[in-house]
Amino acid sequence: MVRKKSPLRTVGFYTLIITLVIGVAYPFFWMAAISLRYSSDALSPGLIHPITFDQYAVLLGLKQSIRQQLSGEQKALLSLIQTLPKDQQKAVLQKIKKEQKSSFPFLTYFRNSLTLAGIAALISLIIAVFGAYSFSRIKYPGRGTIQRGVLVVYLFGGTVLMVPLYQIFTKVGMLSNPNLSMLALLLIYIVQTLPVSLYMLGNYFRTIPYSIEEAAIIDGCTRTQAILKIIIPLSLPAIITVYIYAFMIAWNEYLFASIFIRPFPSDYTLPVGLYELFNSYHAIWAKMMAASVITAVPIIVIFMTMEKYLTSGFTVGAVKE
Amino acid sequence: MNRMRRGTLERREAIFGWKLIAPTVIIISMLILYPVVYNIYISFFKISLNPEVPNQFVGLLNYVKLLTDSQFWRSFGVTIAFTLLTVAGSLVLGVGVALLMNRKFFGRGIVRALILLPYVTPLISIVFAWRFIFLPVNGPLVQFLASIHLMNPGTDIINNPNNAFLVVSVFNIWRNFPFVYLMVLATLQSIPDSLYESAEIDGANRWKQFTSITLPELYFILASIALLRGIWNFYKFDEVYLLSKFAGTLPIYIYNMAFTGIPRQGVAASAATILFVIMIASITLYVKKVLKW
Repeated sequence: MVRKKSPLRTVGFYTLIITLVIGVAYPFFWMAAISLRYSSDALSPGLIHPITFDQYAVLLGLKQSIRQQLSGEQKALLSLIQTLPKDQQKAVLQKIKKEQKSSFPFLTYFRNSLTLAGIAALISLIIAVFGAYSFSRIKYPGRGTIQRGVLVVYLFGGTVLMVPLYQIFTKVGMLSNPNLSMLALLLIYIVQTLPVSLYMLGNYFRTIPYSIEEAAIIDGCTRTQAILKIIIPLSLPAIITVYIYAFMIAWNEYLFASIFIRPFPSDYTLPVGLYELFNSYHAIWAKMMAASVITAVPIIVIFMTMEKYLTSGFTVGAVKE
Repeated sequence: MNRMRRGTLERREAIFGWKLIAPTVIIISMLILYPVVYNIYISFFKISLNPEVPNQFVGLLNYVKLLTDSQFWRSFGVTIAFTLLTVAGSLVLGVGVALLMNRKFFGRGIVRALILLPYVTPLISIVFAWRFIFLPVNGPLVQFLASIHLMNPGTDIINNPNNAFLVVSVFNIWRNFPFVYLMVLATLQSIPDSLYESAEIDGANRWKQFTSITLPELYFILASIALLRGIWNFYKFDEVYLLSKFAGTLPIYIYNMAFTGIPRQGVAASAATILFVIMIASITLYVKKVLKW
């Protein structure tokens, strides 16, 4: 199609593109810029400030924050207690420990999120591979109903489920113990990611010609072997995509995490932990921004390297949120 | 003989199929379907805070309490407005950007990747960045808007119940337009060029081409996206709550009712039930009238 290109139109077009880029990048730009400043500079106006990686070093545990370093008073106390009786020593030590704990347990949150999201996505993926195979390859009575039933899950957001799930998990006694609460959260993440995984994998399996499997089955493969040796290797891109989606959903989840693990600070995931910290300390913008960057970077890197697969996944799967 | 063998083969296939799908069915029934039904059940009870004391049946009292609470009606109105505003906003922006990106230009690859960032970046990171640029006095965006006299630098628009709803809507549109853009772009690229060529020969201008070719071709995908986004935004909790507790939508109302202060989970359950019934009714209507299934 030949269209005249007037210079005015070209200028207008690029103006729009630049506006778009600025509009999208603006918050990211500030997030990155502030994370590289000293805490005292975080709120000062202007763009140019001395750059430091201190915030990152402290968050990643490479460097002790001021809060973690023993204050002079604490050091004096430590040398003093040598002379005290045992039980008093203990009390003072505990007090010092408590003060140190009020620092930023970023790595703990990061590890909790990584474990939860990683395991939930893996289990959801395994269940979904077999379920999706059943949907797309095998005919049996009730298949259509189940398939529609899975889609109906799209209609139930966390908003409708939060009260009953809280009641159910309280009834079975899972919310009074940190480990069981984590397990409850894991179950919820599995069920939240399952419909997307099933739907995307089912669509992908349908594009694999049945004749490949048929040949293998004639050669004496069982159905299970066919899934493991043919379907899974052939759909590796889709499987990785689904895993990343499921991982992202669990990595982002706030609602259930905030309800289930609120009493157990050592179990906090990144969203809950960072939000709690944000509400308790105010003058730490530089550190909050560095924490935000570290939280975002793994996801953005994964996304950029797999952009082609992932964007087609979006349009096929209409990812559930 | 042959038929019988086929019969048992089919049976074996069916059993195998059921075995593979069984974990899915069990986990979804236990953690989605059962809780939805249980939610309706407990909405008729006063939930006791002490596990030793059994819940007390109160009939429709929770519903009466809810429907006479002006806060509930306010949240209800805010939620409807939020849903309509964000769905319309993300559709318009998404279609606009898709039209813009549907041609070749220098640097398209980078812009394309960049556009998706708001949608894929973890929510909590983005929320802090937004809170920072909107800080009163010190926030860069606030300073910018104040310098062109669009707002008073001292106002905290995020933590003000009157404005919070608007900021949250803008944030939601900003975060979710890439989703619309992706779906629309894929559809745009499937519209044959020949349609536009013949329209051009018939003397149709750009606008005319847009309204009589592009929009009708996009109708179905736009209607479907509007449905999905409508459902998700109606239920949206995290994106709203994390940016501003004061936005006052229904999911926040339910959350506060159930988990803060003195928990009133029975009332919260009845609010969730009402939300759910409205949702089902409007989806059914929408699917019949707009998607014409």
